[in-house]
Amino acid sequence: MPENITTYIPDNAVRKGYRTLFMDMADEVKSSRWLVWQLFLGDFKAIYKQSIFGILWILFVPLLTLGTFILLNNAGIFKAGNIPLPYPLFALLGMAFWQLFSTGLTATTNSLVSAGTMIRKINFPREALVVASMGQAVVAFLIQIVAVVVLFMAYRVTPFWTTLLVPLTLIPILLLTLGIGFILSLANGVARDIGRGTPVILTFLMLATPILYSTPKGGILGTLTRYNPLYHLVTVPRDLIIVGRIDSPYGYSLSVLLSVILFFACWIVFHLTEKRIAERI
Amino acid sequence: MDNDIAIKVENVSKKFCKSLKRSMFYGISDIGKNALGLSSHSESLRNGEFWAVDDVSFEVRKGETLGIIGPNGSGKSTLLKMLNGIFWPDKGRITVKGKVGALIEIGAGFHPMLTGRENIYVNAAILGMTKKEVDEKFDDIVKFADIGDFLDSPVKFYSSGMYVRLGFAIAVHCEPEILLVDEILSVGDRNFQKKSIERMKEIISNDKSVIFVSHNLLAVRALCQRAIWLDNNKMRAEGSADGVVSKYEQFMDSVIANADANKLAALDQRQSGLIKFTDVQILDENGIRTKNIEFKKYACIRAWYNATERISDPNFRFLIRNPEGQPNNIIAPSGVYQNSLVSHIEPGEGYVDCIIEKIPLMPGNYFVRLVLTSIDYLVFYTRTLYDVPFSISYPTGQDKDTKPFLIHDSQVWIPAKIEYGRQERDKTVW
Repeated sequence: MPENITTYIPDNAVRKGYRTLFMDMADEVKSSRWLVWQLFLGDFKAIYKQSIFGILWILFVPLLTLGTFILLNNAGIFKAGNIPLPYPLFALLGMAFWQLFSTGLTATTNSLVSAGTMIRKINFPREALVVASMGQAVVAFLIQIVAVVVLFMAYRVTPFWTTLLVPLTLIPILLLTLGIGFILSLANGVARDIGRGTPVILTFLMLATPILYSTPKGGILGTLTRYNPLYHLVTVPRDLIIVGRIDSPYGYSLSVLLSVILFFACWIVFHLTEKRIAERI
Repeated sequence: MDNDIAIKVENVSKKFCKSLKRSMFYGISDIGKNALGLSSHSESLRNGEFWAVDDVSFEVRKGETLGIIGPNGSGKSTLLKMLNGIFWPDKGRITVKGKVGALIEIGAGFHPMLTGRENIYVNAAILGMTKKEVDEKFDDIVKFADIGDFLDSPVKFYSSGMYVRLGFAIAVHCEPEILLVDEILSVGDRNFQKKSIERMKEIISNDKSVIFVSHNLLAVRALCQRAIWLDNNKMRAEGSADGVVSKYEQFMDSVIANADANKLAALDQRQSGLIKFTDVQILDENGIRTKNIEFKKYACIRAWYNATERISDPNFRFLIRNPEGQPNNIIAPSGVYQNSLVSHIEPGEGYVDCIIEKIPLMPGNYFVRLVLTSIDYLVFYTRTLYDVPFSISYPTGQDKDTKPFLIHDSQVWIPAKIEYGRQERDKTVW
């Protein structure tokens, strides 16, 4: 019979070195895929079971935000700038990609805290909770895409062939969200301020990022936008659909690189410190 | 590590912080240090911290069942969580050989909205089972849980018994080599507890090691070969389950019998007042009230009570003191064994007899004091307000120079029978 001996010592993960750490992480990816799926299914079913509108709730928030901006735009209070297609299409598309990030970040930030008792009682890979909570954002995204397709047909707009590349551009968005989510979920476990602060900051970021308006060329916002990785990650997929090209490939590549590095760095930090959370949550 | 050993715990300590705010900042500092790959220097206490588990060492062999007993807050659950790898020790080393499964707070991962069927899958995944394993064992789990038609209802509609059975069923089907069990048998009435103990006995096969944390001293006696007793976060005793439980009972007896209000505050007193002792009598073999029993002869201590509610877990303790001995030193508590238990008390008046066939006390004067707690010592019901005196006399015709002992053979005397009678008290007996 193969013996698997486990030892626990103070500062366990740190003292055992990086080799063990990476092997552990690889093991967990392999062994917890089904766990992630089950956690996701469980959450998903639980959220929509005792609800009349069920999954339709996912559409309400973006549609309401959108409606507000369409009204503002219509009244001339708010200028979306020079956009190549009907505003509702432009905005809904942008919102879909933005929400993948924002809903995902909110969900991951709260993932550990809302699993509270489980974390204090059962030993299982905590990464699974964070990754599974991302699932809600993916579902929301897919539903919004269905709405986008319907809208495209209604306006009789044909997307560019580069739309086929869009699935690839989702990967860096997901990695960035997960990376930041790993850290924020830990931080929220220690201090609840993080969970409260995240939506506030996200609202600010949404307004500061050209999602509901066209890319500003000048001013402070123009400069900020150029250095805003979220702008690159979120607007490139939209540009691929509506204009068929990437405006600043250099900025985009850097943003992708950043999200990949951030993801791995944050995952390592999470893995090194996840046990500390059970003590504090 | 010795091949035969499944769990080795060496000088393990764990600290916690009482203040939430401080704990928060310590958490940030520890996580920060670990994230940078630095040690958190956990071996020293910071301001406001205390050792929740302090220098505990023990071993569990393969196939052995170890009980951990002790009052609330003594560090039992923290110790179990470290064994489970939920958090790391701050000092010492834990070595575990084999797959660990935990029955810690059954149903901790249940989603109230999901059905039993859905929860089986989610919970089993959390406990580390693969899809293939769950598919194979699904029918067994359902059968074991015995929840009938409720399989497809949300678990929030389950009775607490069904909830526990389902959680129990999932956990035991993970087939761990080492099973950690925390307080799961304290749910439900004594009947359910008995059933769970039977189940546990079945599950505990020869090659499985079990660590069993419980207040249920009967269960520890029934299931465990060895036990440790944690008190105030330290190890107080280690040894055979019987021996350690007896020591613990004696200690608790003396705490309760002698306690001032301060000490009793550690126990739940909300239920005191449900029952009162109205009289304590010493009876001889003819059932006649007496104050004197002959050495090694039949004695019966009859305690009359008046209960206003049903008591489902009574633990009658007949504590005998010797006035010449140290004040309040209990020399002979009655050991509690399953066969000498009064299973429950119905409301109304009645009596409980503690029958000793051959009383093992040496001649002299004694007092008896009665205490009624719950079987796990977590609830204090009542105790006699004053001690009832009696004496043991030399048998007629025997030399009076026999060297006096306090106790004839053993420290703990086991009543031949504790009987439970229900009748209107005959006021004329006195």
